[in-house]
Amino acid sequence: MKKQAKHLALAFGLVTGIASYGTAALAQDCTTKIGAVLPTSVDWGKPIAATAQYVVDLVNEAGGAAGCKIEMVLRDSQVDPKVGVDAAKALVDLDGVQVLLGAVSSGVSMPILTSVTAPAGVMQMSCCSSSTAFTGLAKDGKTKGLWFRTFATSGVQAAVGAMVARDQGYKSVAIMYKNDDWGQDIGKLIAGDFEALGIKVTASVALNDGQASYRAEVTEALKGQPEALYMALYPKEGTAAVREWLSLGGTQNMIVANSLKSDEFRDNVGLKYLGKLIGTDTASPRSNSASAFVDQYTAHFGKAPSGPGLANSYDATMIALMAMEAAGKGADGAKVASMVSKVTDASGTPVTADVAGFKKAKDVLAGGGSVFYQGATGNVRFDANGDVSAPAVTWGFSDAGNKELSFISLTDVDAFIASLK
Amino acid sequence: MIGLISYLIFFTTVAAILSIAVLGLNLQWGNSGLFNGGVVAFFGAGAYGTLILGGTPQSAHLGGYELFYPLALLGGMCAAGLMAWIVGKLTIRLRHDYLAIATFGVAVAFENLMRNAEALAGGAQGLRGFERPLHAWLGDGFTYNAIFLVFVLILLIATYKFLEVLIRSPFGRLLRAIREDETAAQSLGKDPAKIRLTSLIIGSVIIGLSGGLYATFYAFISPQDILPILTFQIWAMLIVGGAGNNRGAVAGAFLIWGAWTASGWGLSRFAPLEMQLYTGSIQFILIGLVIVGMLLWRPQGLFPEKLVVSQSGRTKHVKNRE
Amino acid sequence: MIQHLVDGILVGSILSLGAIGLTMAMHMLRFANFSHAELLSIGAYCALVFDGVFQAVYAPLGNVIGPLSLTWALALAIVISMAITGGSAILIDRLVFTRVRAKGGELSMVFASFGVAMIIRNVLGLIFGLQVLLYSKDIVFAVVLSRDPFLLVKPDQIFSLVAALIIMFVFHLVLSRTTFGYSLRAVAENPELAQVSGINLSRIITLIWIIGGGLAAAAGVFYGLTNQINPVLGRDLLLPIFAATIVGGIGSIYGAALGGFLVGIASNLALLILPSGYSPAMPFLIILAVLIIRPTGLFGEERH
Repeated sequence: MKKQAKHLALAFGLVTGIASYGTAALAQDCTTKIGAVLPTSVDWGKPIAATAQYVVDLVNEAGGAAGCKIEMVLRDSQVDPKVGVDAAKALVDLDGVQVLLGAVSSGVSMPILTSVTAPAGVMQMSCCSSSTAFTGLAKDGKTKGLWFRTFATSGVQAAVGAMVARDQGYKSVAIMYKNDDWGQDIGKLIAGDFEALGIKVTASVALNDGQASYRAEVTEALKGQPEALYMALYPKEGTAAVREWLSLGGTQNMIVANSLKSDEFRDNVGLKYLGKLIGTDTASPRSNSASAFVDQYTAHFGKAPSGPGLANSYDATMIALMAMEAAGKGADGAKVASMVSKVTDASGTPVTADVAGFKKAKDVLAGGGSVFYQGATGNVRFDANGDVSAPAVTWGFSDAGNKELSFISLTDVDAFIASLK
Repeated sequence: MIGLISYLIFFTTVAAILSIAVLGLNLQWGNSGLFNGGVVAFFGAGAYGTLILGGTPQSAHLGGYELFYPLALLGGMCAAGLMAWIVGKLTIRLRHDYLAIATFGVAVAFENLMRNAEALAGGAQGLRGFERPLHAWLGDGFTYNAIFLVFVLILLIATYKFLEVLIRSPFGRLLRAIREDETAAQSLGKDPAKIRLTSLIIGSVIIGLSGGLYATFYAFISPQDILPILTFQIWAMLIVGGAGNNRGAVAGAFLIWGAWTASGWGLSRFAPLEMQLYTGSIQFILIGLVIVGMLLWRPQGLFPEKLVVSQSGRTKHVKNRE
Repeated sequence: MIQHLVDGILVGSILSLGAIGLTMAMHMLRFANFSHAELLSIGAYCALVFDGVFQAVYAPLGNVIGPLSLTWALALAIVISMAITGGSAILIDRLVFTRVRAKGGELSMVFASFGVAMIIRNVLGLIFGLQVLLYSKDIVFAVVLSRDPFLLVKPDQIFSLVAALIIMFVFHLVLSRTTFGYSLRAVAENPELAQVSGINLSRIITLIWIIGGGLAAAAGVFYGLTNQINPVLGRDLLLPIFAATIVGGIGSIYGAALGGFLVGIASNLALLILPSGYSPAMPFLIILAVLIIRPTGLFGEERH
């Protein structure tokens, strides 16, 4: 009996000893989960998710955020709102995430915001949701300061597009836009901008997703023989439309939104026809940050970033993790959200968007200072509604991918927009 | 623990809302043999109708009548019924596939209309600005979701009871008679087309109710919510659960929605990182296989139709139906 | 407007090929096959694979034929693809549809076809990726056929139209001159009586799948040639092909051929009135119009 008790005591002591050793080790090795709801089953959604994961890996390399390793739990939204919302709810309730990246389509981001993240006080950061409805929602106070997006409002892209047309001296333009909330937005905005500049809009044609042939639409757009073509399309329908346009004798003078900044588009249409194409985008290559992003991305993925939303996804993830670092361990969504301004402070210490930059940010924040994140989409600053406006660039295609043509600062963009009123 | 309960409440609410749609489809298909290839159109009519009638005024589009919620919900249901009446009138006398194709087309056209008609329904941006009923008193969180779940469950049970009564009623007997032997029914002076049309409309109104509740729960609707995939999901729920059996319909809804969400959760948790990016396609293939497999193995569903005895009394020769 | 008419005819030829196969299946096998359009996708991808294989094996096959973007390799690949797609159609029927019908009945097959379509689409997406693929990157410019009225056509489209017409003509000859053609029409008219005269019904059904699959493959390749290839190629053509079938009347092969052209023309002309955003709804409106005016279509017959 006594011997048994002794054995038990020994065993007990051993177990507690090992356990306490384990917990002591665990205290340094914690993991904080963040959630991501992205359309991984769509072709342009996969790279966006891969980019976010890449950023998480970089941050972990820099020692994690707020003392813990970061684990990104990725769920597919399937571009289906109820699936996306359920995934977000599971991430918030079951995985306990306080930060959610997502989604891409506004139709998915919105119900997630209204029925999951805002009620639960979880911060939501979207790389790519473009609907102006979010601005309205924020103005109504419904987002509780929890919503951010690194996607510059379409007003800037449209204005810069109009600016390009003016500078190139085009007198008439046809517009082809994707028939979703983003495309409808830009289509309307740029049509208004063109009119304000005295440029004739010969046609404004909506291209629906998943249509068998765009020939009729292209024929429609060709009417009135416009001097140039403006496109707010994604690579899939953009390729089809442009090939049709060119083969029907349409002009090579093209202005496109950043959605067509894609190698796939360039290859499928052919560089020889894209010489006169000028694209718009929001970025700030004046700082090293944007080119650093491209270099890093190319080094890691083996090819240059091409396709919509990648730079935005990069910045969304990086800013979210930096804010988590600033908020400290175990912070809740509201606290992290309140720290976003601290890491995108124009008067703060500039940091680059890589491992070194993150480490520097850690030091600065630990010392009580604030940080100015220089991201892949430029010097990101959010307004009160979680929107960003940014300076703009124009770009063109080159053998290596794409090249910057000109840079338009934020002040110039704002001035131009004001002049259009 | 509280997280799990919160999630389960959320999940159950959505599953219950979808169950109502499956019950509506069961009336059309299971009881009346009508192939509704465009469930999502009636769902959408209910959803958009409810939000347009019950939403707060928005400058971008019409609506915002801020109608008393039950009225808004009823309005959505009526919109769905009206749509069913139009489609039904045109196709009910033709061969069955015509209805399938026509309803499929209605769904495509309806989504297209909602996507383009910005003045009517907000276009691709969708309809927001809907205040959930009693939101001002109950807030937004756990309590509200729990109470809303109870509300949905009450409606689910009411719909279930209504349908159970309906199929035991003379009308239900008529439906079964027409389904089993139309010529015989006609010889007795019944008008099969009219009865099928009635069944189509009632079923669509129920599907519209489901749509209205869905839009209420998310306080938002957009063309993204009314894509053809929803038709497929509702059908899958009915086939797996058991066509012709209301209990099966509800069970199928919970099973399929549970499988859909669980497979997403499972793939994200257990699939290796490189595979994560392909999980979407894999999930669709798995679900397609489940459906086809179900139809090959047990087409009557997990809960097959039970012989309904409408008259209590002597039923000596009750045959078990397969 | 003439341009729209011509465009409609060119697009319509592709729809016609798809609709012929579908109308045979719907009439003979009595179910609306929502996965028929996926056969077009299979055909297009199959031809893409063999185009690459042939070019790799014997380089000069990569030369284009005349002013088209069609290579000799692709021309050969079309034939192979038709055979393989026909084979896939039979395989799917044996694996799924025959069995589902035996167990569940006709309308269960409709739903099974939904599931099959979803599987095919996503398997193609997994194998080939979700991005756009092309037979040839070169853009072949349209030729100005006439100045007044201004008329542009792409050589590839002329080729598609001519090839489609040839295929339909050959099929017409088969139907009207060969024993097989007679058997097919007999079975369409009255299956029981046809069997009494010694026609092997299951053999005819197999042949229907092969022909339907083959025609669909050709349609898919022609579509890929004049537009692009992606996994949702079939899904996007589903409603227009259904519309063509209904316009022509279910069961009428000539009706389906004509229906394809009519749907193509109507869809193109519609853009003169409706804003372009409404294009996807056009086939449905056509179906609605047919159902109101003449439900059995042009050449179909009342059948329950």
